[in-house]
Amino acid sequence: MLGMEAEMLKGHLDAIVLAALEAGPAHGYAIIETIKQRSAGAFDLPEGTVYPALYRLEQSGLLSSAWTTPPNGRKRRVYSLTKAGASALGERRKAWGRFSQAVDTALEGGRA
Amino acid sequence: MSGLIDDYIANLRRELDFDPALAGRLASEVEDHLRDAAEADPAWPSPEAERRAVQRFGLGREIAAQFAVDAVDRQARRTWITLAVTVVVTFIAMRLRVIWLDDGAISALSPIVDRYAFIAALTVAVIAWFAFRRSLAALAICLAGLVASIGAGLVRADLFANGAPIHVLLSAAGEIALIGVLSFHVVGLGRRLRRTAVLRRPELQRMGQ
Repeated sequence: MLGMEAEMLKGHLDAIVLAALEAGPAHGYAIIETIKQRSAGAFDLPEGTVYPALYRLEQSGLLSSAWTTPPNGRKRRVYSLTKAGASALGERRKAWGRFSQAVDTALEGGRA
Repeated sequence: MSGLIDDYIANLRRELDFDPALAGRLASEVEDHLRDAAEADPAWPSPEAERRAVQRFGLGREIAAQFAVDAVDRQARRTWITLAVTVVVTFIAMRLRVIWLDDGAISALSPIVDRYAFIAALTVAVIAWFAFRRSLAALAICLAGLVASIGAGLVRADLFANGAPIHVLLSAAGEIALIGVLSFHVVGLGRRLRRTAVLRRPELQRMGQ
């Protein structure tokens, strides 16, 4: 069964995937590893969940992808943030900032 | 190796049979992922490393269900765009026929079917756009209405017997072609909706418990 963090993550997966690609292009496995590391293991979704999000974001023009073959490895599909994706990430960060601040205020209000 | 990854990929391909292009693309991508994950496992090389990689990835059916939901949205969008274009082209073709036809060529029934089937299709389309955008039944009614209207319009004009001018013939050809494309999209939407329902059944049953 999914934990509460995993259920909450589902609603924000697209933004988290965009953020994981901000540092540079990466393939699916590396993206999942980045998300796990950044969340210190709190987000424990099935790894396959990231692929529908990647495909959806690519279809929306927020990501682009291409097959690459590293000299010492197997062929991989590598995803990159597009200009529209970088801009969407900025918007989602601002929206999340406003939302989390409002939730914090609502939760802390009861303690005053 | 144990072949667990190969079995998983074959199963995922089957679950994604509603979109063969996506199934092919995802199969190689997921295989890379699973092999990377298995190789990173401390137990590698062993069937246990493959088993854990597959387990961490999640059930193929659940992943396919997420793709299927997105596929329905995309197909619904394509169908609506085609419907809108078909309505506009049908209206233009109707007007061109009316301008060209003389009253003597009009039989009693076909103008009524031509006009009211079109109005019915347009009314259902407008209501469905605001209330039931993913309704297959509504889209099928619109399609049936447009087919009836176009069919009646063509009977009414009896294009070849009356020696219709080129713009009337071209607009009629456009209508027929668009009806073909619209039918293709409506059938595609139905197939995706059915597949999504099958894939999501276990998930919905769990939510109902």
